[in-house]
Amino acid sequence: MAKTAAREQRQQRIEAVRAEQAREARRKVMLSVTAVTVVVLVIVALIVVKVVTGGNSTAGSTPAGAASPAVVAGVTTVPAATTNAIGAGTVTNRPVPITAPALTADSKPRILYVGAEYCPFCAGERWAVAVALSRFGTWSNLGATSSSATDIYPNTATLSFHGATYASTYLSFTGYETETNQPQGGSYAPLDTPSAADQAIVDKYDAPPYVSASSAGSIPFVDIGGKFIISGASYDVSILQGLTHEQIAAALKDPNSAVAKAIVGTANVITADICKVTGNTPASVCSMPGVVAAGT
Amino acid sequence: MSTAPTTAPPRWLVVTSFLLAVAGTAVSGYLTLDHYTTLAPLACPENATINCVKVTTSSYSTLHGVPVALLGLLYYLVMLVLCSPWMWRSQVPRLAQVRIAAATLGVAFILYLIWAELFQINAICLWCTSVHLITIVMFGVLVVGQSLSSSRLVTAD
Repeated sequence: MAKTAAREQRQQRIEAVRAEQAREARRKVMLSVTAVTVVVLVIVALIVVKVVTGGNSTAGSTPAGAASPAVVAGVTTVPAATTNAIGAGTVTNRPVPITAPALTADSKPRILYVGAEYCPFCAGERWAVAVALSRFGTWSNLGATSSSATDIYPNTATLSFHGATYASTYLSFTGYETETNQPQGGSYAPLDTPSAADQAIVDKYDAPPYVSASSAGSIPFVDIGGKFIISGASYDVSILQGLTHEQIAAALKDPNSAVAKAIVGTANVITADICKVTGNTPASVCSMPGVVAAGT
Repeated sequence: MSTAPTTAPPRWLVVTSFLLAVAGTAVSGYLTLDHYTTLAPLACPENATINCVKVTTSSYSTLHGVPVALLGLLYYLVMLVLCSPWMWRSQVPRLAQVRIAAATLGVAFILYLIWAELFQINAICLWCTSVHLITIVMFGVLVVGQSLSSSRLVTAD
């Protein structure tokens, strides 16, 4: 009897220890699940606060306004001597040929530009597009703005095609600035919406095999008459850092300035490709030595 | 009877943690390579919220001069060793605690990085986000997995 009682007591103690260990194990599991839940909840809370408040915006970009007469003059009257001295300049990213239906409007080759005012690379490319197209026609209402204050190369001085018009007997131009440089809800305030047809062009040609997979959908995007595309800036945009609109426009005259080598060089390359879609007209533009040199 | 992990951990824990460490090493390795080799970026993503360039070139991309991507790579190399099948079989004392401590450190750091992306940089890098996800899942797998392992040992006693 005594042996049986002792055995039962030992068995009870073992079961009690087991029960205690099981409780401890459950407690550990609950603790670990709680720890993971806390981490997930902290992340969800951060996202919710961001969405609700729009974040702690530090942006201080200037909204777009009209470009000053001096800036417009600098862009639209680059001396021929400068154009010819620079050729392709310091272009690093040349237009890519594509096989596509001709892009036209009003029976003229059409240039399609898609960018955004916040985008620092668009800031660089706009100067060159404006210079190139000014050789074929006339700009009106060009805007002046700057890239995002919080992105890479902050506050890069640039033009804006939003609200600008372009008249030419050789070309048609469509420009979209899809967003401003003013933060809104974690992104930027929307601006121009591309037409369905133009968006389809972006979707098709701003994607592999025309651009790398990692760059698909990137801006700036330029389509030159359905024959060439540009995805991204054509030169190192960092050279514009700290310069005002007026300084950039004035530097376009100087063939020895880094600004002219980049912007006029890019404009020459774009001009050479435009000449390929206009049948080398006007000859006064397409036969310029700087343009011819940039096209080879 | 001890709750110390004196028997092999469950196979799913070994396999999952090791694969996560491999994935984390691969992605952070790519980000480190990108940090040291990529030429000046040329384009903006069409969506301003998702912007890897903005994140990887921000002031938060380095910590006391050391690229965060490199810190991530070094962290995952350590995790790769800690979560290798050989280390899971090892009888090195306190290895379980070291794994949990490392996973907790990783989660704490990525919480800081997520805060920086959301509130200071105002942009999200998808490559970085994938490392964040891997780190969180790794933390969950290790914490829950190791506690379930000790539970299993008790039950098996």
